[in-house]
Amino acid sequence: MKSTRTKSKARLSRRDILTLAAGAGAARLLGADKADAAPVFEEVPPSVSGITWVHENAMSPERYLPETLGPGCAFLDFDNDGWMDIYLVNSGPSDFYKPSQPIRNALYKNNRDGTFTDVTEKAGVSGGTFGMGVAVGDYDNDGWPDIFVTAYGKCILYKNNQDGTFTDVTKKAGLETPGWTTSAVWFDYDNDGHLDLFLCSFVDYGTTEHMSCGDNKLGRHYYCIPRVFRGTASYLYHNNGDGTFTQVQKGTDIEKSLGKGLGVVATDINNDGLMDLFVANDTVQNFLYVNRGKDKNGKWQFEEMALAAEVGYSDGGRARSGMGVDAADVFNSGYQDLFVANVDQEMFSLYRNQKNETFRDVAHANGVAQSTRLLSGWGLKFFDYDNDGAVDLILSNGHPDDMIENYSAQVHYKEPILLFHQEDGKLRDVSAESGPAFSKSWSARGLASGDFNNDGLIDILIATNGGAPVLLKNRCGAGNNWLGLKLQGVKCNRDAIGAKIRWSAGGVVRSRLKNNGGSYLSSHDPREVLGVGKADKIDWVEITWPQPSGKVRRIENPPLNRYIAVSEA
Amino acid sequence: MPRRESFRTSGILVLALAAALGAQGPARPTAQPPADDQILKDAIGAQQSGNTDAAIRGYEKYLAAHPDNPIALSNLGAAYAKNGRYSDAITQYKHALKLQPSNAPVEMNLALAYYKIGEAEEAAPIFEKVHRAAPDQFQPTMLLADCWLAMGKNKQVVELLDPIAQQRADDLGVAYLLGTALVRDNQVERGQVVIDKILRNGDSAEARLLLGTTKLNGNDFAGALEDLSKAVALNPELPDLYSFYGLALLRTGDTKGAAEAFRRELAANPNDFNSNLQLGALLKMDENYDGALPYLNRALQVRPGDLGVRYQLATIEFAQNNVEQARAQLEAIVKESPNFTEAHVTLATVYYRLKLKAEGDRERAIVQRLNAEAQEKQPGAVAK
Repeated sequence: MKSTRTKSKARLSRRDILTLAAGAGAARLLGADKADAAPVFEEVPPSVSGITWVHENAMSPERYLPETLGPGCAFLDFDNDGWMDIYLVNSGPSDFYKPSQPIRNALYKNNRDGTFTDVTEKAGVSGGTFGMGVAVGDYDNDGWPDIFVTAYGKCILYKNNQDGTFTDVTKKAGLETPGWTTSAVWFDYDNDGHLDLFLCSFVDYGTTEHMSCGDNKLGRHYYCIPRVFRGTASYLYHNNGDGTFTQVQKGTDIEKSLGKGLGVVATDINNDGLMDLFVANDTVQNFLYVNRGKDKNGKWQFEEMALAAEVGYSDGGRARSGMGVDAADVFNSGYQDLFVANVDQEMFSLYRNQKNETFRDVAHANGVAQSTRLLSGWGLKFFDYDNDGAVDLILSNGHPDDMIENYSAQVHYKEPILLFHQEDGKLRDVSAESGPAFSKSWSARGLASGDFNNDGLIDILIATNGGAPVLLKNRCGAGNNWLGLKLQGVKCNRDAIGAKIRWSAGGVVRSRLKNNGGSYLSSHDPREVLGVGKADKIDWVEITWPQPSGKVRRIENPPLNRYIAVSEA
Repeated sequence: MPRRESFRTSGILVLALAAALGAQGPARPTAQPPADDQILKDAIGAQQSGNTDAAIRGYEKYLAAHPDNPIALSNLGAAYAKNGRYSDAITQYKHALKLQPSNAPVEMNLALAYYKIGEAEEAAPIFEKVHRAAPDQFQPTMLLADCWLAMGKNKQVVELLDPIAQQRADDLGVAYLLGTALVRDNQVERGQVVIDKILRNGDSAEARLLLGTTKLNGNDFAGALEDLSKAVALNPELPDLYSFYGLALLRTGDTKGAAEAFRRELAANPNDFNSNLQLGALLKMDENYDGALPYLNRALQVRPGDLGVRYQLATIEFAQNNVEQARAQLEAIVKESPNFTEAHVTLATVYYRLKLKAEGDRERAIVQRLNAEAQEKQPGAVAK
């Protein structure tokens, strides 16, 4: 047709018209190279770290949904040498996937020189199931961290043998759990001194036949949006104190609430000394399980009150695709604030605690909503990366649909990570000035925080779907002072989950609750690093241990810029 | 949230025509008692000199004594419309038409008022009547086509405009409407021919605006932003352009730029519904409730009863701890729109805040039912 000759003059082609009619876009902007300044976080390549393990996402032409959800990762000190080691979760055999090559999880021992050595086989923690996430906790209070692996198919509890090896005690412990579990968190809900376990359950994915959502515009199968699957109830296991667990969610709101859980954090939203749970759900409302203690029949109760607390839906009343979560006293109010990451166009939420069991979404006022409009968020963490005493935030992202760029010009499969710094009581997106790592894009999923080189600056580990993990070394040059605490419970749970820490330096008193979980499928360095900015001394540190002791320990003039162990005894 | 953006989108190209038609001059009075006659004359004088507020006061005073004067009613309607009070204008026009059912200019003004607030289904039958009475009048025909396009009556648009397109081969407005209707009616080849005609005229703000708004409707936000940015560069004065440019910026993550665009649109057209609503919502998210309220109230003035705006206002009441007011507003909204899930969500929260657990649980159950129904309609396999 002759009209094609007019294209150059009009700079609009017939194809423009056809693509707009189909609602599709083709243009894609290339991201500009960002900072020239010294990086705040520096990517440590596998050639330096020695971490050569790569996640196998098992991506198939059928696009089974579990392929796109993993993996998680963890910082843990499995050998108690004072240096953070790394655990990485992989996929594996399942009812829809038979690996052609052996696939395994990985445990990397920290060599204390910035490198790691793979000790998986010796440790006996290679998995063998279609792994999702990891939760590390000392469930038997022996002082050695144990590993719980969630999965599509079969969870695993690895008990630490205190000699560099682990034993699969899942069955003996009574933790064999059916279905599809994602994030998990250890916490002591009844303050009996033993860590209990909450397990997020994702969707009912069927048994032998799995869902297909048909073909997309490319004529190919795609990852179903989880709306098409039924929700499921999550699991709460009570630690019997003898190495076994009892499922106790029956008769509670945990059993009644059918969700599609992906992220969970244990925290105390009302400062009553009982740990609560905030659960991010995909495509249905989030859950806030407020721990109400024993009822008149002696049954421990959690009240699901996300709707009343205004954390169940978006500010506009919409259910979103919740994935990563976290909690922290972001604004130094003495109360725990909450965070949830969602998919593109939904924006993430930062919920400020109103101190009356309700929250208000202040993500927009903190620039978080604007920065995350086009992103899909998974692993994330509140932490103080520059030790100035104020809580900062890191977000890792990636769209779950590997073909998204064929339908959307502005949303990408691999997405950048974002870093927010708190200034004058508000978070500010500092990604562009934080180094080349923030100009790159990944298919990020799990994210763990931990100080792998013991310099007091918290580093970041990101697990990517179908790729190598990303180790980000914190090189923040702020020069602020700090104190690291390794809390050791005696009467309370050994990990001191639920402990409250207060510290005074430079005329400022700050506090922190030792939450657990948070992020997505991942587990963090259990030590607490207290930033004090330029203050040249810490006046005091006060630790209120969780029940059953509730003891308060005060340390006057603790040392600066080193880790110390503090025991409840 | 209920939206009517698509109608405004398709209506851009004929808005200028509508504006021209909408400026119906005030009709002259017939014989009246001397004092009242002077009030009416003064009102007309004020209206003619652009003092619309004084004109409104005069007409209202006059109508208090002469409630069935069609001229005063019609003129007051025009004055209300001038101030963006389209709902009030519609009331006056309807009253006038009861008294003078065949008054064509008043009918046209009534249709225009509906058109301005996005009520295509109300406006279309009136435009159709005007068009049938005077098929050679170009403007009512175009407005009718635009209404039909908004209503999805693509075949009717093609039938209406095909002969006109032959007579007005160079008219871009006709080409845009016809081309869009053809493409939407899956007559893509014919649509291409018409649109290629537009493109031969070179890059234009109007063409970019059409492309951009269509891409917005197709959720291609990056593509929309590209076209709308070019439209802004070509002609920043194009009506409605900054409203849609703001939407594209918003959807691609530039909230600050979006707010600036909405403000720019409102500087030119304070009654732009979309810009008022979006800017109000943005300010609300920043917890700037005092800043948000004037914009949302203006949006509600432009589209009285709009559920989306009322929902925003109710959430502001709630955020400001005016819980009972929020409750009343939300209860009214869900009564009018029982499937408005977001309103049920917020109402449930309001009930829980008021310690009305049973009511909160009831709303929560409604939310769960609505969500379940919505999820069942999702594309994909049914869970086994």
